[in-house]
Amino acid sequence: MTNTPYQQGNSLWDDAKKRLLRNKTAMASLYFLIFMVLACFVLPLLPCIANPNMTNLDNIAAPCSWAHPFGTDQLGRDLLARVLYGGRISLLVGLVATLVALVIGLVYGLISGYVGGRTDSLMMRTVDVLFALPFIVLVIVFSLSIEEPSRELTDWVIENTGWSREAVAPILGLVPLFIAIGALGWLTLARIVRTQTLEIKAQEYIQAARSLGLGHLRILFRHIAPNLMGTVVVYTTLAVPGIMLTESTLSFIGLGVKAPNSSWGTLIKEGADRMEVTPELLLFPALFFCLTLLALNFLGDGLRDAIDPKSAKD
Amino acid sequence: MSQVKRRLATILSILSGILLSSCGDGKSSAEKFAEERILLIGNNSEPQSLDPHKATAVADGKIISCLLEGLVRPDPKKDGAVLPGTAERWQHNEDATEWIFYLRKDAEWSDGRPVRAQDFAYAYRRMLHPQFGGKYAEMLYPILGAEAYNKGECSWDSVGVQAEDAHTLRLKLSGPTPHLLQLMLHFTWSPIPEHHVEANGGMLDRRSRWAQQDNWVGNGAYIPQQHHFNNFLSVIPNPHYYRRSELQNSGIRFLPIVNGYTETRMYFGGKLHISNNVPPEMIAYAAERAPQDFCRDPYYCTIFYRMNTTRPPLNDARVREALSLAIDRETLVQKVVRNAGTPAYGFTPPGAGFNPVAPEAASMTQAQRLAKAKQLLAEAGYAEGKGFPTLELMTTSRDVQRIMAETIQAMWAESLGIHVEIRSCEWTAYKAAQQSMNYDLSSSSWSGDYLDAATFVELWRGGGGNNNTGWSNSQFDAQLAAAAATGDTQQRMQHLQEAEQIMLREHPIIPLYYSERTYLRSSRHVRGWQPRLLDNFPLDAVEVAP
Repeated sequence: MTNTPYQQGNSLWDDAKKRLLRNKTAMASLYFLIFMVLACFVLPLLPCIANPNMTNLDNIAAPCSWAHPFGTDQLGRDLLARVLYGGRISLLVGLVATLVALVIGLVYGLISGYVGGRTDSLMMRTVDVLFALPFIVLVIVFSLSIEEPSRELTDWVIENTGWSREAVAPILGLVPLFIAIGALGWLTLARIVRTQTLEIKAQEYIQAARSLGLGHLRILFRHIAPNLMGTVVVYTTLAVPGIMLTESTLSFIGLGVKAPNSSWGTLIKEGADRMEVTPELLLFPALFFCLTLLALNFLGDGLRDAIDPKSAKD
Repeated sequence: MSQVKRRLATILSILSGILLSSCGDGKSSAEKFAEERILLIGNNSEPQSLDPHKATAVADGKIISCLLEGLVRPDPKKDGAVLPGTAERWQHNEDATEWIFYLRKDAEWSDGRPVRAQDFAYAYRRMLHPQFGGKYAEMLYPILGAEAYNKGECSWDSVGVQAEDAHTLRLKLSGPTPHLLQLMLHFTWSPIPEHHVEANGGMLDRRSRWAQQDNWVGNGAYIPQQHHFNNFLSVIPNPHYYRRSELQNSGIRFLPIVNGYTETRMYFGGKLHISNNVPPEMIAYAAERAPQDFCRDPYYCTIFYRMNTTRPPLNDARVREALSLAIDRETLVQKVVRNAGTPAYGFTPPGAGFNPVAPEAASMTQAQRLAKAKQLLAEAGYAEGKGFPTLELMTTSRDVQRIMAETIQAMWAESLGIHVEIRSCEWTAYKAAQQSMNYDLSSSSWSGDYLDAATFVELWRGGGGNNNTGWSNSQFDAQLAAAAATGDTQQRMQHLQEAEQIMLREHPIIPLYYSERTYLRSSRHVRGWQPRLLDNFPLDAVEVAP
């Protein structure tokens, strides 16, 4: 008696993974992003990277050298260190703010789509109203109004943990930004999630789950949410660049990162001001920023192609 | 794929459309406007108000000086000299305590009504009115009883302003003021149209629309034409101005460009005839690219930090002194300001008869200053910065101020272990925060309103409208009063110097440096421009050549 070899079926995720691995641009982008994250978060721990806020007025706007691979800025600070630390902040804002938006948008959209009826109309009209308001203005107002509590939070953390201000302030100072961008950036996602939920809700397996007597929460988070993940992952990847851009816009007008700390947005602004005199101050941060945004976009495109093959053929 | 191409094509066509349209006939706007004889001038910031009793910023003053004419006007040929303005002649008594101005008969408001002496009296009363709250009221304090009236201590009848008839204005002064005419060059001495202000809410209405650009009535060389917020404010010749035929140009556009880098770039892009400021880092570049156009003028101006003396720990003079001593001004001026100024340890720039005793700190080495700063900080209970709260250093979004703030932030952190946070504000927000004293430290500058030390020293009068530090000292105020009362120039300077000493001993401010003015002026399009210590060259005398 011969055993027919046991054949494992391919799950949808396996298929997606395969398709993604075949997409060279997307994979190259993924590796580049991993490299960038490592460079920004791990490299500065090495002693060869200078303190990004250490001014040296005897070495202003120095050209590239071994000691300062990217040269120094208008106050003699090492540009490489500033770009890497700036990347930390820009990437962190991109990730954290997106996560905040993700959580809010997901829950909101799920509830709206699942409950339906009047609740749905009300929640979606609320989204419409919020959509009509100018995003940047709202972010500015919002981040200004939560600035004071966040400063108190910073002081409290420093007092109670004994961490040095230099380590804590650059990150905690951004909390208003995280919250403001995240709390207002969930609108599109909520709509997408709602539409998908409406679709999935009508499927037979949901009816089955319901007839088995499962609770609403269990249906929502065990049966509907996982099936949304494809769309959500794609959308999120594509949203990160947008949010990083918002951060740089805000930093550009002086509302984001506080001096002397830098983000890619502030570095580009400072560089743009002086581009006739010291073009490298603009060149390096802009290069890092552009490449990261491109990579994120390519990866997002690749993920969309991989997870949702239907939508790729446009 | 084809869609991508189509998109690309659309983008390209839009881009080329923009590029082509901006090229036009190949002429820059500086050239085009020069042909129309309209002057394009960079003016730093959006004006807060065109009402001479509400404006305090230099940028506002430049516009108002074009729109209103006082009793006298500046001589375009000689710095500091005055020419008859709305007054055709004047006389004063021997010790210069009583002046009579005779107004010209042909002076008219831009609505055709005659300019009367009563309009001047009305303007001075409005500025000084205790319920109006004019921030620049001190400018009129030389008038007898003005200070008391401004503080609500007496009635208007006892103030020395009297319109004897429509063309005679008599001013009684609180002390001998031989330099009165110099003071009067400032826009705060301008008249305002009584009939028009009364028709728009009356004297005390702070929200009156009388000075709105579309509702304007003035007696100056120009009237406002258009105001596009954050873009430009344009003025055209006033058809009722008596010297209309003498104007050297047919209009001015004031462009509010806060960022000096942007402004310099706009200048080289042919968008300006005169720029307001070349930031230090671009001085070498600008001087090399346009040696004919680059100007570097002496300027009656001090850059300093205000401290809010009502808030702890800045209410402790030792802390304030420590902060001041810990700043290495020589390095700051050399490296950050690129020598476009000189280090300052006092507030009032020397010169114009004012030669103060240099404060002790001026002759110390930086190491000595640091040692003293540390000691003072320890005495105040913050040895090595321990327990020192995080202060906020407010700057405008101007880049020179920002990089200066970052430098000083690093200096304090390194030498005193003190952490300050930089808050960079947009101009109007900055002004509002400063005037309501909603700040800890504020990056400030003061340029003289007239060529006399009093314009600086009097800033720190207790409760003065531009003091904004919460600091006051009765001895200081007494010295000011003594200076105003004496007719002897030397004695007057003595009192002012004494007052400055008192102020510097208590450190309500941190003087940083005496600034020069670096800017660009088109040698091709601009004729007749001359540098002025007060940067108050009359713009109607600037000729624009194609």
